[in-house]
Amino acid sequence: MKRRALIDGTAPPSGGADGQGRALAVVACLALTACAGVLGLTRSGPQPFPHRKHATAGITCTRCHVGIDGRGTPPAGSAPGGGRGVSDGVPATLHIPDDAACATCHGKPHNPGPCLTCHAAPGAIAELVEARAHLVFDHGKHAAPSRGDCMRCHVGIAEGDDHLRPPMATCFRCHDHDAARDARRCDACHRGLEDTGLLPQSHLAHDGDWLREHGTRAASSGDLCQSCHREQFCADCHGATVPALPATRRFSDPFAASVHRAGFAARHSLEARSAPGACTTCHAPDRCAACHTSRGIAGEGRRSPHPPGWVGPAAADNAHGRQARRDPAACASCHDGAGQSLCVSCHKVGGVGGSPHPTGWSSRLPLGALPCRLCHPTGKAL
Amino acid sequence: MTRALATAAIAVITAGGRADAGPLQLRGDALATTAAPAGLLTLEAHGEPGPGLSAEAVVWIASANDESRGDVLVIAVRARTAEGRASARIGRFVESLGALRPVHVDGAAVRVRLPHAFTVETYGGLPVLPGLATGRSWNWAAGGRVARTVGEAGSLGVAYAQQREHGRLTSEELGVDAGAALGRRDDIGARFAYDLANPGIAEVAVSASHRSGALRTELYLGHRAASHLLPATSLFSVLGDVPAQRGGVVATWRCAPRLDVIADLGARRVDRDVAPEATLRARLRLDDRGASALTAELRRDGVGDDTWTGARGSARIALPRQLAVTTELELVLADHDRGSGALWPWGLAALGWDDGTWQAAVAVEASASPQDRHRVDVLGQLGRRWDVR
Repeated sequence: MKRRALIDGTAPPSGGADGQGRALAVVACLALTACAGVLGLTRSGPQPFPHRKHATAGITCTRCHVGIDGRGTPPAGSAPGGGRGVSDGVPATLHIPDDAACATCHGKPHNPGPCLTCHAAPGAIAELVEARAHLVFDHGKHAAPSRGDCMRCHVGIAEGDDHLRPPMATCFRCHDHDAARDARRCDACHRGLEDTGLLPQSHLAHDGDWLREHGTRAASSGDLCQSCHREQFCADCHGATVPALPATRRFSDPFAASVHRAGFAARHSLEARSAPGACTTCHAPDRCAACHTSRGIAGEGRRSPHPPGWVGPAAADNAHGRQARRDPAACASCHDGAGQSLCVSCHKVGGVGGSPHPTGWSSRLPLGALPCRLCHPTGKAL
Repeated sequence: MTRALATAAIAVITAGGRADAGPLQLRGDALATTAAPAGLLTLEAHGEPGPGLSAEAVVWIASANDESRGDVLVIAVRARTAEGRASARIGRFVESLGALRPVHVDGAAVRVRLPHAFTVETYGGLPVLPGLATGRSWNWAAGGRVARTVGEAGSLGVAYAQQREHGRLTSEELGVDAGAALGRRDDIGARFAYDLANPGIAEVAVSASHRSGALRTELYLGHRAASHLLPATSLFSVLGDVPAQRGGVVATWRCAPRLDVIADLGARRVDRDVAPEATLRARLRLDDRGASALTAELRRDGVGDDTWTGARGSARIALPRQLAVTTELELVLADHDRGSGALWPWGLAALGWDDGTWQAAVAVEASASPQDRHRVDVLGQLGRRWDVR
């Protein structure tokens, strides 16, 4: 139809594009609706506890979380409804109300099961237990300064029922921890940070390509890194005695960050040639040769990896010279040490290769030391 | 020396008994694979006998092709004064001094905070060589850094380090680093390393990021001269190479509560070759805690004759009884066939179990690469951790 309209020279129906756009929008809406649960836009399973709904109904926090303000822990039978005051299987120090506490208002429960089975986000209790284990914090001491207004810190309630744990910046509104922060003394509030798995949320967030970014950030914040990471964390990659690639040691975690992830063995030569020197930032130059030799890829009796015409007169297609300038670390990975004599046999004054130094070359090394003395045996400039 | 350090570390790690001592954490992992190394046993220990004092050790032994070897990755004791004004480390550890490259040493490092927001840190020791090597005469590495806090959350530092091998200078570098948090949403960091042995810029990196709600963007630039990263004793360090550059923008967007999208768009330059590079990655958590998740990634990379396109997908599905099944697939298509194929698939399927104390996993890995037309390996892992009070 459209083709005919073009041939006839008549304009296509004006509603065509709009119609297609509308159809696409409808399809997109349907797809989004269908996937809303998967994307987390809607919840079909257990919901976070509706704190916001209770707060706006005028129910004070301590009416349910009895004893959290430090005015005594709820003894058996003293909690609203006469229950124990805390849910079964939940540490009493968390002050999580039990079903009897809920029943003081919700007289006719719609389900005989425990309330928190459905009215608590999955893993919420586990997160609280972990927070209590790794944070030095006492709600009781904060009750008086906040005059019982829990929402002075738990401001997230105003926005919804997720993320009720206040961010660290909330603490700094009242507490002056500048000295502790400057001294990286996180243990005034945090216990065992290495084990918590917490990640920075605002600054130095470990997002995007953090693997590349971390070196630049750590350069000026190394002491900050040490507040969460142990020595092993750096040594796992940067150590000279790494037992196995981190990706190999954690093969069952496909989301662990590693430059050697997945099929790195197949593509490593492409990556190495595209980023000259990148391997050298962690590995000793002879690492390539050692690995290739142990795997039988290089070494005596093996075919040279260089194409025909690799070494030739300067006037010809002298590929090796160009590649050596491009990535000398790649040459050094095989030819360093004893292999250097191969280069020096041509690259010497009077030799066919001429001087290997570029124009304007300078060095502070004494001519009598290695590698200068390979070409300058008399210790003098030629 | 290593034996003395090990004795000291073990003494500190096991010196419990104080009321405020943390638990002694022990961990052992055994990895077996049909690819080398065929077997690997790793033992880790970490303890905090008291406030400001900690020690850790990681040792391993591997066996492949009827050969066994073992080594020490870390044996270090770390101490800090109560107010955090001074800290020290002794043992085998990785020292990262400002803009200079990390170095694995057997030695000691000290950091002291001085008045007027200055910090001084220094280290010295023997560069670690694999294989418990001894008799390293006149091998040493030493360096220092002076930094000053700028404003509330900024820092500027200057570092110097040199290494010698058999008394010969192998590396002498000067580094400058800077970093700052600008307001509540912006970070900036930069490092600059200059080779003093064969004068020239070795490496420069700049990163600036901005966070706005669910979107974080980072601008990065890098410059690297490979010849200045080689030991000065190497003939290849005197060639005077053509530096390589890289730059781009990374955007991380949490576009739905469980969906993150990361896009990296940049370019590389090596000699006269310039090529664009792009990565698009998405991660979908299938539950609120991310115990089950899917990722998909498309990537275009490389420069000159080494360009390639790749796709990767991975999944982790949590099962009942602390079981999880994971799978990872990758397909790489090189633009140029060098006689060893241009299509390299790789795949791994694993079943893991983790009850917090015990971890076990078994996997099958299959691949084709320029080295192997096809290859299948089996991997198995068993680990256990102990908290001893």
